[in-house]
Amino acid sequence: MVEHVADFPYLTCMLLAPVVGLTIILFLKEEWHFLIRVVSLSAAAIALGLSIYTFVNYDTALGGLQFVEKYEWVKSFGIYFYVGVDGINAPLLLLTGIVIFTGVLTMWELENRVKEYFAFMLALVTGVFGVFMSMDMFVFFLFYEIAVVPMYILILIWGSTRKIYAAMKLTLYLMAGSGLIIPGILLLYATSGINTFDMIQLHGVHFAPWVQKTAFVLLYFGFGVLAAVWPFHTWSPVGHVAAPTAVSMLHAGVLMKLGAYGILRVAMFLCPDGFQYWAQLMALLAAVGIVYGVFVGLAQTDLKYVIGYSSVSHMGIVGLGLATGTIDGINGSVFQMFAHGVMTALFFSAVGYIYDRTHTRMIYELGGFSKIMPVASGYFIIAALCGAGVPGFASFWAELLVFISAVKVFPVRGLLALASIVIGALFALRVVQKTFYNEPNPKFIHYKDVSPFLGLPRAILVATMVLFGIFPRLMLDLIKSAVVPFVNGL
Amino acid sequence: MKVLLFGPELYFLGMALVLFILSLRRQVNIRIDHQVALGFAAGGVVVASACLFQQGELFFAAYRVDLFSQIFKVALALGLFLVLMISHNLAHIDDRYHAEFYLFLTTCTLGLMMLVSAVELLTIYVSLELSSYSLYILVPLRRGDDMDIEAGVKYLFIGAVSSCFMLFGLSYIFGATHSTYVNEVMAKMPELVQSPIGIMGLLLTLAGFFFKLSVFPFHFWAPDVYQGAANQVTTFIATVSKAAAVAVLLRLVALGEVYGFGFTQALWILSIVSMTLGNLVAIVQKDFKRMLAYSSIAHAGYVLMGILTLSEAGYTAAIYYAVAYLIMNFTCFMVISEVANDGRNLQIVELAGLYHRNPLLGLALMLGLFALAGVPPSIGFTGKLLVFTSAMKEGYFWLVLVGAVNGTISLYYYLKVVYAAYFLEGKELPAVHIGLSTRALSYALILIIIGFGVFPDRVVELARVAVKGVLL
Repeated sequence: MVEHVADFPYLTCMLLAPVVGLTIILFLKEEWHFLIRVVSLSAAAIALGLSIYTFVNYDTALGGLQFVEKYEWVKSFGIYFYVGVDGINAPLLLLTGIVIFTGVLTMWELENRVKEYFAFMLALVTGVFGVFMSMDMFVFFLFYEIAVVPMYILILIWGSTRKIYAAMKLTLYLMAGSGLIIPGILLLYATSGINTFDMIQLHGVHFAPWVQKTAFVLLYFGFGVLAAVWPFHTWSPVGHVAAPTAVSMLHAGVLMKLGAYGILRVAMFLCPDGFQYWAQLMALLAAVGIVYGVFVGLAQTDLKYVIGYSSVSHMGIVGLGLATGTIDGINGSVFQMFAHGVMTALFFSAVGYIYDRTHTRMIYELGGFSKIMPVASGYFIIAALCGAGVPGFASFWAELLVFISAVKVFPVRGLLALASIVIGALFALRVVQKTFYNEPNPKFIHYKDVSPFLGLPRAILVATMVLFGIFPRLMLDLIKSAVVPFVNGL
Repeated sequence: MKVLLFGPELYFLGMALVLFILSLRRQVNIRIDHQVALGFAAGGVVVASACLFQQGELFFAAYRVDLFSQIFKVALALGLFLVLMISHNLAHIDDRYHAEFYLFLTTCTLGLMMLVSAVELLTIYVSLELSSYSLYILVPLRRGDDMDIEAGVKYLFIGAVSSCFMLFGLSYIFGATHSTYVNEVMAKMPELVQSPIGIMGLLLTLAGFFFKLSVFPFHFWAPDVYQGAANQVTTFIATVSKAAAVAVLLRLVALGEVYGFGFTQALWILSIVSMTLGNLVAIVQKDFKRMLAYSSIAHAGYVLMGILTLSEAGYTAAIYYAVAYLIMNFTCFMVISEVANDGRNLQIVELAGLYHRNPLLGLALMLGLFALAGVPPSIGFTGKLLVFTSAMKEGYFWLVLVGAVNGTISLYYYLKVVYAAYFLEGKELPAVHIGLSTRALSYALILIIIGFGVFPDRVVELARVAVKGVLL
């Protein structure tokens, strides 16, 4: 892969922005809420700005890895701090930037233990940035863990609805996933014969078939837990429901993508033969996840559970696209990661706003809510339309690409999944109708609608969805520049 | 300058003498006792550091001074200093015995220092006993209930039994090789390990160190002693004496190039059983120290994983892990002795609300526990990954898999403590006030846990150079 060394450490700065913000916050007084928020927002804004910069300035004609930085870290074990951007991770870095920025804005009204909250959130987002930009397996895993662990405390302290159970379940599931990833990574490292964790170099090694099969399945299930691959998804709806709004946004919006990204970047990239061997299983589990998510979602009465299960099914679409191993499929998958990230962030952000006011997320209690808070409800309805795959939003193109190639490669599973998506649209409409267009609940009649400032994060998310829905090639050309060589290397 | 070769040991011998004289006074002044001990211990760190790059042999080559031993001596001196730092409040030890308390900690450190340099079997044995006897006295020194007596007796019995095992093993080895010098013994090992007497002799000899490290099946003392001994004594046992045991184990194992399948197989089993047993039993514990005792059994398994690879990378990882373990474990014990300032045993629920009772200690505790659980970016994560990497390189796939699964299990009970400290409110519990020294210590530990976790290269390189010296 061609490398273009960075003239300025953009990626390091993107990574350090939250770290610096976190350090400053640690030295601020607990009572200085406003200052803490401002510091967090500035850190997030810097990270967002840099991620936009790399996204816009990535040269698709040149291709390969750009903005590369590489420093030796632990010499004797061949560990490098090696970061770079290509067409696959550029959209995901942008997604992370958007979600953390809007996430901080969404939590602007938080009053309880503000300092710790933003400190943990910035720690989490550091991990996410680190995973997306690392090209070294060890560092990749290091950041992966950093991203996963703060969730426990975030859910435990600021969560709701069975939070103790949910926090522990989520953490143990994800750490069990890590327990599979470590042997997988180390197996590749140990059998490569070259003393390095550098993924680009490891890609050049042709691993023995048994190594590829073993490592791939370990990595697939290990990362798959985080990507909510059926049947390892059960932590996810429970966790989303319990988590505070911005954490749900980050978690469903970004963290679950880490899992899918890990499957793509580590497992498929390093073990192409292993991927061919297990692709059938991947497609099967993904298809089951799609169908399952839709049907279980139909039965939910809590808005957050509805979103939680729709996430399972949407992440199934990502998995299905990856399993096809075709250019279109992976293209669609990566685009879907981005689109779903923005969409769920919008979903959770909208629900969080309503929940903070009414302290309920029950569909039947809210009934007719659009008459009380038309704007706040509008955001949710837009998110639901994105979820249903309505043209004009980014997710439409992503799902289209995935299903075209899925039906070609796995006709039965593809068609089944496609059929359930149609049902999914139905279910989105049902939720919208029941929650927002029934008779309004008199209990909530006195609530004011969302103010322009508090609505800002949602407006940003909607704008992103529409922008990439109308101009999908802004994204697709970029992704394609990386996916074409990737698929040729499979 | 032959004296410098023996410098740290002489210094600590002198320190022991001074403390001995202090213990003879009629009028007790515990402040002076503590300040003298602390001052001398600080000097000890300086002396040990000054002798870091000494090289040579003493006492008819029974005693070898090299980078490996000197690094561990610095670590031991530092460990003693840290333990004395948190000993400013020995509420549970009779005022009359404070000087003795410091005295025996010093003699124990002295024994451990001799242990890491000894390369002759009898010298090893005598040093080991010097450190053990000091601890036999320290454990029941606590005032109050009978738990300390039980702990003391248990420690003595199991220690004596493992000493017997060790002597028995030594007699086998001596009988088969006609030498007590480790390098001569090891030269004859390759043919010896083919016979049962060789394997048995070696494993029984290692029993003495397995006892110190609380590796299965020599772990029975750990929970009771951890719980029964004074908090500071437990801290010493859990950190300093473990690090020394790792050093000797490494030296003994490293000198034999080829041990054969049977030997590594035995260590493989001990490692897996220790990890799994320690972690599973730790889950149900309510007493914080008891929980840490079981977790120490599990950590001994991780260290063993690095050692049994019999490779340079494995030893390097094991040293790194041992030092990391010393630091993260110490962090937890510091919090224990500060929160339980009347010297009681700390239940996990008593940590409730630590985040507002003392935010700094809460943060330190959380980082220490995360490091123990192997969560990045911490020294424990890097250590664990290095150990796993070296084991995988030698082809121990299943061992790594079991280790990784164990990491998940351990996270569960560490998180329970974090849960108590950060989630339970603990409104009725008093705030915890800490002095300036503890405050500085907390900041230093936090920095070390994160700093060396993120930038491990220097430590790893140092450990590697030290290991190279031992492998020769």
